[in-house]
Amino acid sequence: MVFVTGPLYSGKKTFVKEWMHWDEETLSRNAVWDVQELAAGCDDLEQLAEELSKKQVVIATEVGGGIVPATAEERAAREAAGRLACLLAKKADTVIRVFCGIPTVIKGEETL
Amino acid sequence: MMMTLVIGGAASGKSEFAEELVLNAGNLPRYYIATMQPFDDECRARIRRHREMRAKKQFTTVECFVNLEQVTLPQKGVVLLECMSNLAANELYSPDGAGDDAVASIQRGIRHLKSQCEELVIVSNEVFSGGSDYEGDTLRYLRVLAEVNRMLAKEADTVYEVVCGCSVCHKGKGRTE
Repeated sequence: MVFVTGPLYSGKKTFVKEWMHWDEETLSRNAVWDVQELAAGCDDLEQLAEELSKKQVVIATEVGGGIVPATAEERAAREAAGRLACLLAKKADTVIRVFCGIPTVIKGEETL
Repeated sequence: MMMTLVIGGAASGKSEFAEELVLNAGNLPRYYIATMQPFDDECRARIRRHREMRAKKQFTTVECFVNLEQVTLPQKGVVLLECMSNLAANELYSPDGAGDDAVASIQRGIRHLKSQCEELVIVSNEVFSGGSDYEGDTLRYLRVLAEVNRMLAKEADTVYEVVCGCSVCHKGKGRTE
């Protein structure tokens, strides 16, 4: 499994489509994205990460880089999203961070 | 002609790093394209202070709040444009801005600048890692600024991210791997 992360609107899905030579339909079949949103309220992140990692590509948006949110609910959601990303990165053979449309391999031996 | 994009969060040291790049470019005329609109006295005081600081480094300040395509530089030199996050906001929200045509307008402006200088350094803002839970029109602005940043990264020869004063090279000669 390849885990792709990066800031909001940084071009993560566009990169995956170009890199894999996938169209939109192939992408929806073989990849899952915005998984940071699945973390909130999930009581077994390990199980969720296991489920997600059956996909060829898992994509998450980095959400931990802002001010600590004002409400406990938002804080918990942000925390869970970060933990989920760590679990996914651990399971992944390759982790790629897309910044400003530019991919960088941050785990694994893959060359782009 | 070389173009460099410098991107970083608030107070990351991106401006200082970008200025350093310009000073290292050698003894060419230096132009600073300022994009911040003076809305009140606090803005005006800030702008005056910065302008004086840059004058000591031999920068000529050129103000451009919208429509980069209209900028004409007197000589071929080094250009520092700061900050793209202001220009993008002005294009989106100013009455004389490009509105929905913001990204294309900025791209035309950048190409127009490229044709007039030896070196172009552009500073932009990284504001995309704090979630997407924003009110009102903020997400639209973020989407536009992100598209501008990706466009600039494509146009640029070199892309640096500045994190607490340290530069990480994403594209160009300094990229490791």
